[in-house]
Amino acid sequence: MKMKGNFSLKISGPAGTGIMRAGETFSKALNRLGFYTLVYPEYPSQIRGGDNNLQIVFSSEPVNSPNEKIDLLLAFNSECLKNHRGEVKKAGRTYELGELGIKVETELVKNSATLGFLWKILGFDLKVLEEQLREDFKEEKIFKLNLSAARSGFSKGKDVGLRIWKGVENRELGRRKGIINLTGNEALVRGILVGQCGFAAIYPMTPINAVLTELSKSIVTVFRPEDEVAGILAAIGASYAGKRAMVATSGGGFSLMTEGLGMAGIAEIPLVIVLGQRAGPSTGMATYSSQADLNFAIYAGQGEFPRIILAPGDLQELYRFGAEAFNLAEEYQVPVILMTDKYLAESRFSANEGELKEIKVLKVSSGVKNPEDYKRYQLTKSGISPRAFPGQTAFLTNSYEHDEKGFSTDEAEMRNEMMEKRRGKLSGLKGGFEKYGEEGKRGTLVSWGSTKGILLDFIKENPDYNLIHFWRPWPFPQEVTSILKKVKKIIAVEGNYSGQMADLIELKTGLKVQKILKDDGRPFFKEELEQKILKLKC
Amino acid sequence: MEFVKQFFEIMNKLSDLSTGVQPTWCPGCGNYLVLAAIKKAIGELNLEPKDVVATYDIGCAANMVNNLNVCGFATLHGRSIPVAVGVKMANPKLTVIAQGGEGGIVTEGGNHLIHAAQRNDDITVILNNNYVFALTTGQTSAATPKGLKTRSTPEGNPFEPLSAIDLAAVAGASFLARTQSSDLAQTTEILKSAIRHKGFSLVEIIQPCVIWLKDYPEENKSEKYQEKPFKDIKDFFNKKNYLGILYEKI
Repeated sequence: MKMKGNFSLKISGPAGTGIMRAGETFSKALNRLGFYTLVYPEYPSQIRGGDNNLQIVFSSEPVNSPNEKIDLLLAFNSECLKNHRGEVKKAGRTYELGELGIKVETELVKNSATLGFLWKILGFDLKVLEEQLREDFKEEKIFKLNLSAARSGFSKGKDVGLRIWKGVENRELGRRKGIINLTGNEALVRGILVGQCGFAAIYPMTPINAVLTELSKSIVTVFRPEDEVAGILAAIGASYAGKRAMVATSGGGFSLMTEGLGMAGIAEIPLVIVLGQRAGPSTGMATYSSQADLNFAIYAGQGEFPRIILAPGDLQELYRFGAEAFNLAEEYQVPVILMTDKYLAESRFSANEGELKEIKVLKVSSGVKNPEDYKRYQLTKSGISPRAFPGQTAFLTNSYEHDEKGFSTDEAEMRNEMMEKRRGKLSGLKGGFEKYGEEGKRGTLVSWGSTKGILLDFIKENPDYNLIHFWRPWPFPQEVTSILKKVKKIIAVEGNYSGQMADLIELKTGLKVQKILKDDGRPFFKEELEQKILKLKC
Repeated sequence: MEFVKQFFEIMNKLSDLSTGVQPTWCPGCGNYLVLAAIKKAIGELNLEPKDVVATYDIGCAANMVNNLNVCGFATLHGRSIPVAVGVKMANPKLTVIAQGGEGGIVTEGGNHLIHAAQRNDDITVILNNNYVFALTTGQTSAATPKGLKTRSTPEGNPFEPLSAIDLAAVAGASFLARTQSSDLAQTTEILKSAIRHKGFSLVEIIQPCVIWLKDYPEENKSEKYQEKPFKDIKDFFNKKNYLGILYEKI
């Protein structure tokens, strides 16, 4: 039995009350019942107090869009209630924790009490939530505290017969395993590990902190550098010495990394840069989302050198490109910038287990076989020179323009040959975009990065539209031109102020692109996006 | 006979360490002797060129990348230390040297010096201190003596100089030494000790610029230097005229 549409609820409380933890437990318990979930967090840049909130959307179909209006609000205090009351639908329900009369042994487990209460309101079996708590709290004492809180909350709730259950006989879709539940950062780290990353230099910054946390628990050598300048350079050093290496940062840190980026370009050092975008400029809105760094990533650095930019849009792509970024960096000896954003990185999505597919990982380079008369920058047809590592032979690596052996040079002829060599390296790249949906009678939507998910949801409900998702905005996949020439109209949907991808498509194809833009720190909401697209004139 | 054999062995090693490219330094520059000292130190320590990584700053001395036949990496101004740190973390078997002028190590890259010293990263930093930015035609650096007239301070440098050794000492470096480029034997021995040292080592090589340092500071004149080893950092702190291995914590 399937539910109609989706159900959206919001939990709001001060930072430090365990809201984020609750979102994970709650959504995973819903997955146990067979529901797909989306957990979208919003929080201010503070550790205690304020208003942390989570929107949890669930449905019997895959769900990729946060909603503007919610069906249920549970606020921890009157301030949070005031902040979000306006988002509740007319027929929706609102609760304030203090007025529910739930008794807990310690303030620390209020979050679990809330979950128990909500579980009852939604009319689910308490046992399923208990199983999830068992999985989430390994320590017996902590588990028991949370369990009793959840039971206490459950006892105060009552099944109110929500509208989504009208005509639904069995609210459980069938207990099942196989729905995976990960944040974007977690999926990315899984990919990074498959890609055999050996070294990560990460200076903490929202929204990539979880990448640092997760990699620190893995076999990867993790370095917390003194600044992002040192971070990218240490990663370059590690890559040069033979490890697959990466950094992760946001726009501010990437600003500091630009000189290192250029060095990786001219010295031809493989490097993966995870760039988690957030709302700028400068410190901007540090814990809010944005997609405004595409131009910056494409053009960062003085001079011209090849780079690859990947823009995964969902768990599947985060996992895939987390690994493939390292293949590409190594194969072409270039910096690869993998762009996410706060919404994609820190929201918690669900997918079917089989969708995180096996990825073919290129063998990590073992360096040069015959070190006699080795030339680090040998001119070859493909532009790619054989690599050697320190310990194999003495050779030069150079941020100055250089000759085949790596010696510094200012000679015009060698300069031209080296520029040609570097620029030619990426000429063989294939793919870069993916088409979804049928012909698109009313128009073709364009996404890059995180707008993919919500647009997939949209075209499912509006089959007159189709979608082209650019998972590799740079080098621009020129093959897309012949496809875009034939479509009714092109509509780019992006989280920035000026329409950076739209402009890039216009620049590269000469075709006119309409823009649907938003840069207020929030992702596109379902209703808002529908309105904006359907309102566009043909 | 044994001596002759040894001599030829060393000479062969030294020629292995040469790329055959002629240095571009000014006549009389201290860098010629620094290059000789580095070659001698690597040769006498019996290190293979392929097992030595030298990361270079941008500046006069850094142009040595084209002359010294090891795994050389010309990096960016002020950034030779973090590249070296990454290399060492990725492959601890390598001998890793980071070179830089006082412009790179103290001025542009001071942050990296402090933190590498704090972490006691197992690299050797060779600091070529000529008191000014030379390759950009003679401006003050953070280590320029007070009062010195340069192209950026026509009235004289208003600031007290910042000492790399003091900075590194405070941050926790475990090997600190100062030498003069004119003393090939001492520079070689100090470099050998620094490379052998497990942990962060800093060797400051004093080598006044023959072109841009017209107004050479009194306190840095060579006859004023004294050699003295110290047990505690506070004993040599803020004293610019001591030479030798100032401090080693094993």
